[in-house]
Amino acid sequence: MNNVIDTPTKPVGQTTYQTQIRKLGQYGILVAFILICLGLSVISPKFLTVQNLMIIVMQVSINALLAFGVTFVIITGGIDLSIGSIVAVAGVVAASFAHPDTYPVIVPLALALATGVAFGALNGFVITRSKVPPFIVTLGTMTILRGLALILSKGRPISNLSDTFSFLGGGKILGVPNLIIVLVIAFIVCTIVLRKTVSGRYMYAVGGNEQAARASGIRVGKVKMQVYILSGGLAALAGVLLTSRISTGQPNAGAGFELDAIAAAIIGGTSTSGGTGTMTGTLIGALLIGVISNGLDLLNVSSYYQQVVMGVIIIGAVILDSINQKTN
Amino acid sequence: MILSVTNLSKSFAGVKALNNVQLTVQTGEVHALMGENGAGKSTFMKILIGLLQPDAGEIIFDGKPLHHSNVNEMLERGISMIHQELLTVPELTVAQNIFLGREPRRWGIIDERKLNEQATQLLTQLGVDLRPDVCMKYLSVAERQLVDIAKALSNKARVIIMDEPTSALSDKEVATLFTIIRDLQRQGVAIIYISHKMEEIFTLADTITVLRDGQFIATRPASEFTAQSLIAMMVGRELGDLFPPSHAQLGPEVLRVEGLTQPGKFSDITFSVRAGEVLGLAGLMGAGRTEVARAIFGLDPYARGTVYFNGQPVTVRSPQEAIALGMGFVGEDRKGSGFVPGMSVKHNLTLASLEQFARRGLVAEGAETAAATQLVKDLNIKTAGLNQHVVYLSGGNQQKVVIGKVLQSAPSLIILDEPTRGIDVGAKAEIYKLINDLTAKGIAILLISSELPELLGLSNRIVVLAKGKQTAVLLGEEATQETIMHHAMQTESPLSQL
Amino acid sequence: MKHAFKPLLVALTLLAVGCSQSASDSKTDSADGKKLVIGASMLSMQHEFVVNVHDEMTKKAEETGIELITVDAERSAIKQVEQIESFIAQNVDAIILNPAEVEACSPAVSKALAANIPIINVNSETGVKPTAFVGSDDVEAGRIAMQYLADKLGGKGNVVMLEGYMGQAGQLKRAQGAMEVLKKYPNMKMLANQTAEWDRAKGMALMENWIQAYGNQINAVFAHNDEMGLGAVKALVDAGLKDKIMVVSIDAIPDALQAMQKGTLDATVFQNAQQQGAKAVETAIKAAKKQPFDKETLIPFQLVTKENMAQFVKK
Repeated sequence: MNNVIDTPTKPVGQTTYQTQIRKLGQYGILVAFILICLGLSVISPKFLTVQNLMIIVMQVSINALLAFGVTFVIITGGIDLSIGSIVAVAGVVAASFAHPDTYPVIVPLALALATGVAFGALNGFVITRSKVPPFIVTLGTMTILRGLALILSKGRPISNLSDTFSFLGGGKILGVPNLIIVLVIAFIVCTIVLRKTVSGRYMYAVGGNEQAARASGIRVGKVKMQVYILSGGLAALAGVLLTSRISTGQPNAGAGFELDAIAAAIIGGTSTSGGTGTMTGTLIGALLIGVISNGLDLLNVSSYYQQVVMGVIIIGAVILDSINQKTN
Repeated sequence: MILSVTNLSKSFAGVKALNNVQLTVQTGEVHALMGENGAGKSTFMKILIGLLQPDAGEIIFDGKPLHHSNVNEMLERGISMIHQELLTVPELTVAQNIFLGREPRRWGIIDERKLNEQATQLLTQLGVDLRPDVCMKYLSVAERQLVDIAKALSNKARVIIMDEPTSALSDKEVATLFTIIRDLQRQGVAIIYISHKMEEIFTLADTITVLRDGQFIATRPASEFTAQSLIAMMVGRELGDLFPPSHAQLGPEVLRVEGLTQPGKFSDITFSVRAGEVLGLAGLMGAGRTEVARAIFGLDPYARGTVYFNGQPVTVRSPQEAIALGMGFVGEDRKGSGFVPGMSVKHNLTLASLEQFARRGLVAEGAETAAATQLVKDLNIKTAGLNQHVVYLSGGNQQKVVIGKVLQSAPSLIILDEPTRGIDVGAKAEIYKLINDLTAKGIAILLISSELPELLGLSNRIVVLAKGKQTAVLLGEEATQETIMHHAMQTESPLSQL
Repeated sequence: MKHAFKPLLVALTLLAVGCSQSASDSKTDSADGKKLVIGASMLSMQHEFVVNVHDEMTKKAEETGIELITVDAERSAIKQVEQIESFIAQNVDAIILNPAEVEACSPAVSKALAANIPIINVNSETGVKPTAFVGSDDVEAGRIAMQYLADKLGGKGNVVMLEGYMGQAGQLKRAQGAMEVLKKYPNMKMLANQTAEWDRAKGMALMENWIQAYGNQINAVFAHNDEMGLGAVKALVDAGLKDKIMVVSIDAIPDALQAMQKGTLDATVFQNAQQQGAKAVETAIKAAKKQPFDKETLIPFQLVTKENMAQFVKK
């Protein structure tokens, strides 16, 4: 993608060594991902089947949507911890309007998305207007929204949802699960927003050097609003799909999802200090988490060990990332 | 003689910051160290307190040579420094700050009572009325400075270095500080005093050493200097061919500011710049030059005054508005606010003008690449490619990227704040040539620089600021290093009465 | 998908929520005639079964005219211990504890006992014996569910088990009961067991993965609660395997009964939330008033199948 050119004056040995490390860093996650996939397909014959791969992508899709949103936020140097709770609120809102023979399916979908966008905007507003760090603001909205989900649902799952609503996240079009279709569309749209639009460019600038962005005439506050709105909206979409997939609106849905999403983004090379990150990396990060989880389930590894393995892989990935940064 | 330094040298990345510097300090004297910004004073002092190691030379302190020392060793031997930005811990008390790292202990537990007693004793000795158990954050800058001095005394300091100690003090506080310095002198403590303020130097100093460009120039008793001769010695350097003659035609007035005032920063600033003209803005650090520029560009607010742009009165509330009007700003803090290090040369170059290349929110990459390619060629930016991250470029090329970014938004006025700071001489010459090219195209330039030769070599006129006030507008022949320094140090402080 | 960062999440939640108990104006000392104050710390108010137990407790408290202070432990044992400490400091007349964990919540019980405040465990147990226990024997629930599967499979076949949150009494005992029954049938095999953390979406994902791993080998699924069971049902229906594989779970929540009506869930085990809640409050009042009370009240589980489900639907 971008050409790393070494000055020819450097000793050859050093140059190739450095280039290798850099390449490893850039593609480290992809390499790790492919190696793990290869390993799993050797150990478990069930792994490398179209059916199983499709299931992995479906299971990953919710986390990937959240991770796409939070990638925008992290690129600007922020963080959004409230997305897991937005999943719950959006799911509960959608479920409340999705009982059979009440409203057309567009109503719960639109209301849930509006809810997510509104709370994303609220996050952005508080963060840009007050000088409170995003970590604290979204930590606050995380608990507020969790409470709101419980209030709206009175602590109980909302079930008896219409078939059309369940089709959103559970159905297939031409044999392809809707979840995968949504994931692919979201990935393409997010990539375009990040790489091809003025807004996307500004996100990198704000995260890379906020002062320079400001001096270049960029409305930093507006950029921040945009990313939190994107994050909230994508979280709401994830909430609707999750609710539809399990056919219930659960007030405790999505608890801890924010951490998986942040993990996916960071594994995919998004730096928590802002300014770098790609949607492709995040997608690979999410797939990596999903593949490991699926593979360990296939091998019936105890959940205790699953957590250990997951932690080791995450730290390994971030070390790879920091080696990459150092050599640069 | 308490301290003697001979033939001290120090280089950074091949650039000589200090070259065979000499210094001899007598017990109980106030020794002023003078020189322009960048003369090597800071590097010199950092070596003396053990923060940096010299490449060559000898330091003899109290009859014994010092080798490869660290800060703690220097403190123990008796050399302390009162830093410009005070290094105290705001959440700790006065006493805790004074004895930080050397707390009196009983059975391994800090003896707070003894700590406070000893602190009180020190403060009394200094004649300072401060309670030892007050949290540092509640003190004024002056009080914090006094605590820093008490801390130096608690170290049994024999030499105290003071770097611009009065920069944040009121006149009354300055008087108190001077009384204390006199007391310390009587106790046999030597003071190395660094300041740009002439009247302070002539009030306090017994001896003056002058550095210029990392070279030792002279050490003489203060009585042998006049302000004029001191300034001449500090700045006396010849202007080479760095500055090609300008052929720019002066056009209509582009920017005019009238009575621009922001309390505490600058007041009543009035000047104008014409198309094709370079207006220099001179002054010492903290004189308010950058503050004025930031206010014009909408980065900071101003309380009173009017800005006219192309003849129209304008109110600029943000950089966006300034850019939309046709202003460009290249800030003094290149790394901090100039470029985005992790972004490519291309993306940095188009950052301030991205909307030019946008079609319904999408960036038209072809047009963007073409524009960036042109800028790289025009400004002779040396980069491995358009996708190279700016962080890998040299300082001079980074600066060219920042200027290129500003140029791409087609400004009629560019504010350059310290455009050549930290750039090697070759790149400086290129930037100077670039400035000439810009004025030839009819762009107005507002140039802020601490390097007088640069200001003199480039500017048509020079506005001098001192302590936030405009003290002179110098034209042609009037503008010399001496006149600039004279006006830059002009103050009407009551210190002369001391 | 499992959470990669569970411990961090718990830490964050603790940070965020701090002390979430409702400071109520309890001026009562337990003297006669005054209003009795009972403090209740519930495992998680996001858990439908717990909410049901609590609803009944509130109803009972209103009937008997006592004051009930409820706090939500949000599944955290540490938080629960702090909440009990706070109850002790407020000098409540009795405490009802719905423990988050078996061992980690034991200090809470010990502290209440040491302060001479009667403490009644509801629904699940702790390592230290409380003043009284009201609940159902979770081992029994596991036994009933697995026995049902064994009967239906004719003592032969492969089972997978979706477990609750690891380390909680519910998970440990339900697993224990299931394994006891399995031991009696040498031809029945546990193919895989794994936690889905009581969660429907996680149950669904886990079942999807197992379908990939074992496919037709699976004959029956036992889920430690209905939520996970319903998730497994969803995965099986999607894979077109529901007709071949039986699912049984525990709790008999309305959703589960509805699924049974549709014929997708085969059986569930009814745990009587209402009786647990009511009995807990009754026992707490008796203990506070120093009247005689039962040390252990076990409310029996009941197997719910298509045949007898009508009687449970109304509730």
